[in-house]
Amino acid sequence: MSKDLAIEISHLFKTYRDADRPAVNDLSLSVEQGDFFGLLGANGAGKTTTLSILCGLIKSSSGEVRLFDKDVNTQLKEIKPMIGVVPQEYALYPELTALENLQFFGGVYGLEKKQIAEQIEGMTDILQVKDLLNKRIARMSGGEKRRFNLMAGLLHRPKLLFLDEPTVGIDVKSQQIIIDFLRELNREGMTIIYTSHLMAEAETLCNHVAVMVQGRKLCDGCPSALVAEAGVANLHELCLNLMK
Amino acid sequence: MRRFAALLYKDFLLLVRDKAGLALLYLMPLVLVALMAYLQNDTFKAILENKLPVAVQNLDKGEVGDAICKSLEKVQLFSIDQLADSVPIKDVERRVANGDYQMALIIPEGLSEQLQNCVAQSIQHTFNDSIPAPVIASSKVTLLTDPTTKNSFMATLSSSLNEQITTMQTDLMLQEISLQVAQLSPMPIGEIKLPGKVVEVEQRVAQLNTDRLIPNATQHNVPAWGLFAIFFIVVSLAGNIIKEREEGSFLRLLAMPCSFTLYLISKVAVYLVICLTQVLLMAAVGCWLFPLLGLPALSLGTCWSGLLMVSVSAALAAIGFGVAIGQLARTSQQASVFGAISVVIMAALGGVWIPQFVMPKFMQIVSMCSPMNWGLSAYYNLLLRGSGWEGIWWQCLLLLTFGAVCFFVGRGKERRL
Repeated sequence: MSKDLAIEISHLFKTYRDADRPAVNDLSLSVEQGDFFGLLGANGAGKTTTLSILCGLIKSSSGEVRLFDKDVNTQLKEIKPMIGVVPQEYALYPELTALENLQFFGGVYGLEKKQIAEQIEGMTDILQVKDLLNKRIARMSGGEKRRFNLMAGLLHRPKLLFLDEPTVGIDVKSQQIIIDFLRELNREGMTIIYTSHLMAEAETLCNHVAVMVQGRKLCDGCPSALVAEAGVANLHELCLNLMK
Repeated sequence: MRRFAALLYKDFLLLVRDKAGLALLYLMPLVLVALMAYLQNDTFKAILENKLPVAVQNLDKGEVGDAICKSLEKVQLFSIDQLADSVPIKDVERRVANGDYQMALIIPEGLSEQLQNCVAQSIQHTFNDSIPAPVIASSKVTLLTDPTTKNSFMATLSSSLNEQITTMQTDLMLQEISLQVAQLSPMPIGEIKLPGKVVEVEQRVAQLNTDRLIPNATQHNVPAWGLFAIFFIVVSLAGNIIKEREEGSFLRLLAMPCSFTLYLISKVAVYLVICLTQVLLMAAVGCWLFPLLGLPALSLGTCWSGLLMVSVSAALAAIGFGVAIGQLARTSQQASVFGAISVVIMAALGGVWIPQFVMPKFMQIVSMCSPMNWGLSAYYNLLLRGSGWEGIWWQCLLLLTFGAVCFFVGRGKERRL
């Protein structure tokens, strides 16, 4: 087993109760440490389910998942401090201010007040949200919420960051700020697992992608190599061909 | 510990920011307890203090008529109105029929004299055969009743009348016997008299400590609505859990180094404080505000540790129930509707609105299935019957078991993810 692997999945299956087909069907893949990995596919392809299994939020029906060589089913307690999760929803408390939210999530990560303050200070500058810290989440725009949503998952500086559709439904400016910040984090060595159905965005961000259709992985590799191999113009076209 | 402190502070902030929710948790039970105690206090007063108007026309003017009047005045159920001799019997009857009086008693003229003569003649005849036996021409004491008068009131008045007439008759007989014996005996003898009542019936409310007050509107309503308030946190707690789930923050928490049990314990701690402050507030209202409103003051008894134990047990039962609903319901709407309705049903069954002892027999048995009934019964034992821990342990055990079962149902539901 390679020491450089951040994630190793083998023969992963997940079937929900009362479902007529598996949400994840025999998925096997590996992600190296430092990768910006894109898990791509249309809505209902099984991306979020895969991400939820990787984070330990739901249990797989069968198969093996290892993060930093630790088993998700049996060593989750050791894995959790190493991972950061940024869900697709604005997973923040709308009644609390942004600062209160960040202090709370920092506290749950077991960080000291000083550490939390330092992290907030650093990230608010980059994400351009310093003036919004004392504003309640409920009164913020979608783009502002997304930026704080991202910050909440990064307070403890995880080795591995899971992002579920991080730029969906927000303005172009917020989208660009988030993308730039993610690139910076990846440059610093953070492994990022990113799900999206925005192929153009994934093509520019990721060095490694996998395309899922109806729970199955149909291809896996470097985006440019996959596009060249398929003889198509871009990742978007490749996905359309795979989904036919 | 830092994680737990963060969870506690977050739950506290969420509660404080929800002004409407807080008002519902604290103000609604206060309004209800004041309103219900006031309404029921009037009902209690109606039963205990309102007397039935009874008219008495004493045409006798003798010992028997006076004794009957005095004995009726002693019966606390009746408010006696003495009618003048000149009021015609038709007029008395009309006033009863109109509802001015529930009952009217007409003591005929010469009743005492007739009774005295009859008794004297009977005794004299016993001692001396030459004296003829009296011809009994019974006098009629007329009792007019309103058609709506309850049988129990009529029975009370009749028995009081009969008792007085029998007593008078016995006294007269003894007087006459004394007189006759004195005439026959060579030695002078005094009047024969019975030494008062030899057998008396003592009636009192059963309680362990006789210094305690009998149940009143305050003593029923304060613990009853206190329990309602405790259980009403179910709506807030379940809604809170579902909201966190719907907003996604719950899933984020599960992906963090935060166990589901720690997450729930934080909620238990915050809502336990809410429940205990609710109880304190209700008790303070009962002790200090109620007397200002003209309601009886709440007596808290002496077993304060018992009161705390019952309150904590009821709070944990309610929190467990709230956690179960929060985990079982799919939407916050479902949770609030089911939570509110189930609490109202539990309250109705448990004797919060209508005390259990007023319910039909079958419902009294059904009532024992409600956790609120267990709590109320424990509070009654402490506040009214003056018992200590021996009177509450069983109810506390039931409440804690209910809470634990609900808590584990909620926890188990999460594990099935």
